[in-house]
Amino acid sequence: MMYDICIIGSGAGGAPIAYELSRAGYKVVVLEKGKNYKEEDFTKDELAVSRRDMFTPLLKEEQHVINERNADGSYTRHVGSEVNWSFWNGSMVGGSSNLMSGFFHRMKPNDFRLKSVYGKIEGANVVDWPISYEDLEPYYTKVEKVVGISGNVTKHKYAEPRSTPNFPHAALEENRVTKWFDGACGNLGFSSLQTPRAILPHAALQRNGCSYSNFCGSYGCATGAKGSARAALLQKCDAKIITEAFVYKLESDASRITKAHYYDKEFNPQTIEAKIFVVAAQAIETSRLLLNSKNRYFPRGLANNYGQVGKNLLFSAGGVGQGRFRYEGLDENQQKELMQAGLFFNRSLQDWYEYEENGKKIKGGTIDFLFEHANIIPRVSKEFYNDENKLIWGRELQEKIHKNITTARVLTFEVFNDWLPTEYCYVSVDDEVKDKFHMPVGVIHLWGHPHDLEVGEKLAKKASEVLKEMGAKEIFYSVSSAPPPNLVAGGCRFGEDEKTSVLDSNCKAHALENLYVTDGSFMPTGGSVPYTWTIYANAFRVADKIISRLANYS
Amino acid sequence: MFKNSRRTFLKQSFLSTAVLVMAGDKLFGAITPLETLVVVQEDLFPHAKELSSNASAYISLILNHSRVSDRDKAFIRNGVQWLNEEAILQYKKLYTQLSPVNRQNILHTVSNEKWGERWLYTLLTYTMEAMLGDPIYGINKNESGWKWLHHTAGIPRPTKAFL
Repeated sequence: MMYDICIIGSGAGGAPIAYELSRAGYKVVVLEKGKNYKEEDFTKDELAVSRRDMFTPLLKEEQHVINERNADGSYTRHVGSEVNWSFWNGSMVGGSSNLMSGFFHRMKPNDFRLKSVYGKIEGANVVDWPISYEDLEPYYTKVEKVVGISGNVTKHKYAEPRSTPNFPHAALEENRVTKWFDGACGNLGFSSLQTPRAILPHAALQRNGCSYSNFCGSYGCATGAKGSARAALLQKCDAKIITEAFVYKLESDASRITKAHYYDKEFNPQTIEAKIFVVAAQAIETSRLLLNSKNRYFPRGLANNYGQVGKNLLFSAGGVGQGRFRYEGLDENQQKELMQAGLFFNRSLQDWYEYEENGKKIKGGTIDFLFEHANIIPRVSKEFYNDENKLIWGRELQEKIHKNITTARVLTFEVFNDWLPTEYCYVSVDDEVKDKFHMPVGVIHLWGHPHDLEVGEKLAKKASEVLKEMGAKEIFYSVSSAPPPNLVAGGCRFGEDEKTSVLDSNCKAHALENLYVTDGSFMPTGGSVPYTWTIYANAFRVADKIISRLANYS
Repeated sequence: MFKNSRRTFLKQSFLSTAVLVMAGDKLFGAITPLETLVVVQEDLFPHAKELSSNASAYISLILNHSRVSDRDKAFIRNGVQWLNEEAILQYKKLYTQLSPVNRQNILHTVSNEKWGERWLYTLLTYTMEAMLGDPIYGINKNESGWKWLHHTAGIPRPTKAFL
């Protein structure tokens, strides 16, 4: 059977294509390597989900090699399974969008022209995007409506222009401590923002509203309120989804992809033929598939004529921090407010999305604030050390745990700033290590530009000021070049020049007539926000381009 | 039947097969990992037993878990051997034969070693899992761990264990 479209990967990059093309009447098949979990499968089993990582592959079967660049320019090679270093996020229908927290921020107009606005940075491959914010704005709006985004638009200095006045869904219910936050920001002259969330507060879009279970990020949503690619898109279209289908190779002639080769769940090799192929396997795996698909027409890998596939891999730079609020000094009412479980702490700061230093305009970022995750096991494990950083146990540990869990609560923050693209951060495939399908695993060459740390430090200090003003104690933060595996993009950047980019402005490979890439791989720079909304929006944009093309085709 | 018996044997063998403990270059004795692990867990966090967490049964479950790597399992087993070797070095007895005070001394000694700190941290973490995981795993009896920390579990709760 010849499909119109074959999509590899069913997450935020693939699902909008499946949704739009199948609703437009085209024959769509999605190949997803994970299983099809549904709402009824998503329990809050901390041991299964967070301790035994039930939604990601076993590292001894599928893994990455991590090639870490040291300060002196040497590399340290880590085999993922040997050091328990995982870059998997969620292998299942809908991908890791099932497990996201759904902090949704748009990129801002200047994010699309980072080089023009902020200038060149030594050692970084910063470029402007081939499209503008105005090109993507209608699709950000579409995501608000189709996937469902809740909240209230707050006017502030760096607010991006919008074509609609507000989000389509009311804000989720909030913990009262947000008022403490708003007050502290008011005192400091900062603009407290209500964080938009891809979570429905009420039944809408043929989905249930949020149940305020207190376990959101890292967990699948049992009500369907979270705007995962599965709940919001795939279950509302008739695209054929083949699960447990691992695509190991794309076959091509000189100008077109002809087949996708995959192993089914019984390890039997299968093929799919289609007019157009869309790869959206999440950034690292997309580059890996193209590199592993080399053939006589593309001896360095598909679409890799100029050695650009895998290059300029991005994560999100920044860091995390926290402060603890203790019962001491709080009245009874405040203590109750502090311990309210289940309600959201949707607050962000973007006052330093851009700032000046030594007369130079610097690109800053976003700070999201949230209560410490409700998972109880990591919360008690954090208490294993005393103030002298010595491991403790017995009654001393018992008392420390009880006090810090039952009469205190931790408010955390996450800093998102640009992970500058560099020549030292990229994806290749390994010569030695293979996965259970006998395919070379991806190698993640890892390096963070020092500029990323300077920006992260600036933002983390500002976030700490807010915690201090709120009355938090034991405030600390950590800014590092540690890559967050769930915030990954780049590797197949789009651009006008085929010598410096893999994809054109429509996310079609320069070198192949019928190959598109629609996960975060296309992003030449990442902006200073979580990527999911932008990936969704861009995939809807590309879907329109493909529909126009197929219409002309017929 | 054969397959089942064999599987049962393999599942149990990791914790019931004796670890040989050396004193210098001579064999001092042998002990099964489970015997030592049960005592160490109680020494590390006696409240887990007071809460009927079933931590010792949980360590058997976890060390046969499909998602705990062989490397991690081997580390637990090696730690049993190294702990007992320290006990013999200091007191000429296996860890389980020592007085509570001397066992604490051994724990303090090994906690200053890199392997020992990591080993104790790992056992403490598994103890917390037993105390605060869902009772579907045969642990955290009557949700006593959750009650102790005023913790409200997320809903929906699991209906089967993930092993």
